[in-house]
Amino acid sequence: MAGHEGFVEADNAEAIITRIEHKSRKIESLLKQYKPVEALKTALEGSPPKTRDERCKSANWIVVHRAIMAIKDVDGMFSSLDPEYYDILMKYLYKGLSTGDRPTCDQCLRIHEKLTEKAGLGCILRSLSDTVNTV
Amino acid sequence: MAAIAVHQFAQCITCHAWSPDHSMIAFCPNNSEVHIHKLVEEKWERIHVLQKHDQIVSGIDWSIRSNRIVTVSHDRNSYVWNQEGVDWVPTLVILRLNRAALCVQWSPRENKFAVGSGAKTVCICYYEQENNWWVSKLIRKRHDSSVTSVAWHPNNILLATTSTDGKCRVFSTFIKGVDTRDSGTGSAGDSKFGEQIIQLDLSFCWSFGVKWSPSGNTLAYVGHNSMIYFVDEVGPAPSAQTVAFRDLPLRDVLFVSERMVIGVGFDCNPMVFAAEERGLWTFLRFLGERKASSSSAKYGSQFSEAFGKLYGQSKQGINNDRAETSIPRGAIHENCINSIVPLKKGGKSTNTRFSTSGLDGKVVIWDLENQEDLSEYL
Repeated sequence: MAGHEGFVEADNAEAIITRIEHKSRKIESLLKQYKPVEALKTALEGSPPKTRDERCKSANWIVVHRAIMAIKDVDGMFSSLDPEYYDILMKYLYKGLSTGDRPTCDQCLRIHEKLTEKAGLGCILRSLSDTVNTV
Repeated sequence: MAAIAVHQFAQCITCHAWSPDHSMIAFCPNNSEVHIHKLVEEKWERIHVLQKHDQIVSGIDWSIRSNRIVTVSHDRNSYVWNQEGVDWVPTLVILRLNRAALCVQWSPRENKFAVGSGAKTVCICYYEQENNWWVSKLIRKRHDSSVTSVAWHPNNILLATTSTDGKCRVFSTFIKGVDTRDSGTGSAGDSKFGEQIIQLDLSFCWSFGVKWSPSGNTLAYVGHNSMIYFVDEVGPAPSAQTVAFRDLPLRDVLFVSERMVIGVGFDCNPMVFAAEERGLWTFLRFLGERKASSSSAKYGSQFSEAFGKLYGQSKQGINNDRAETSIPRGAIHENCINSIVPLKKGGKSTNTRFSTSGLDGKVVIWDLENQEDLSEYL
């Protein structure tokens, strides 16, 4: 049955970390080329990592956080970000708000406002109610 | 207007059901009683109060052919009420539950009823002629959490359930001596009582409100994550569709035809979902009138409105300075809608009329007859 794709076992965690490191390098180069939205898309792809391993989740969060913080023009971002990314982005915004870090929260709230306008309250519900695919 | 009648029967209604000819309505006004109202000279008058339960009545169903009412309650019991003369006479059905009963539904042939419970079980109850007694048979060990909704397949054998463990399951409820293995039941007739036909793992959070389409070919249920799921070919190789929508989650669904589903829930306004020719389901529109939503200020007011709802204020939030937008967006219900019941005219496969009730204590009757844009899906 569709839905669960099965969680990767712990010995695969290394492979996931390697993939996240590769993603991180790609994001850095995209940011150097002033393509913050492309960087965010890259960061959100393959997220959340399909594992319960906390190391993988926090490694991925660091990468997504880097991309979120690089967004300057929020309205411009939404003109080129496809709706398929909305649900996962919302999850990471709540992760950002849970850190309590001032600049992170400011940035996440700014995007949150626009994202709610775009994707509706359903998007918030989807990110809060999913206890399986946590970020 | 799609809504043709609005009745304020109580402060809050947990569930409701109609008599076979729709001249009477039974509902629970959020306490241990069931009130029956009858339409007398254009006015609804209370004619009976069924008092037997000790706690909130969570489910009512009124059988069409045998004219029996079944009620279930948080007190873990169920009663079947028979009309004798002017009175309704209750028969206790011992469900053997150790948690609240949450929902109830008569089977299509009305010889069984199913009760979902907080004890992670489903009770299938049937009448034993020799003992003059309703017997409850339990489906155990399959659900990992409370059963929130039950729905009978038209073949009288298959039962779909949703649960707060997020799953939707389909069981066989074949009972020897009650059901016969005739041709009408198809392959479903070969399974034993309590056998699980399928488990659907589409939702990652609570699931509510399951229904079969009139033919029994499609199954629809909702998740608390603002998603609705449609499953075709329920069996070894099901095909599933997931529709995410932008508003608050649904609590219950109803098939109006094979290709149209009405969903009701926390958004206070029924939503219409329809399948186009290729069978692809999409959200079509809201059924009640609704002001256009675009400005960001509206979302601010929606948040405080949601807080207002959270604290049981159905009119408007106190901390809301934009009162004009806080009245639930032109909708007829002012609070969460928790049940939707078809108003079926005998013999027709599609029914355009149905009623909804919710935490605002209103019962609203809707008719899709004059909704031109929806007629192609009927």
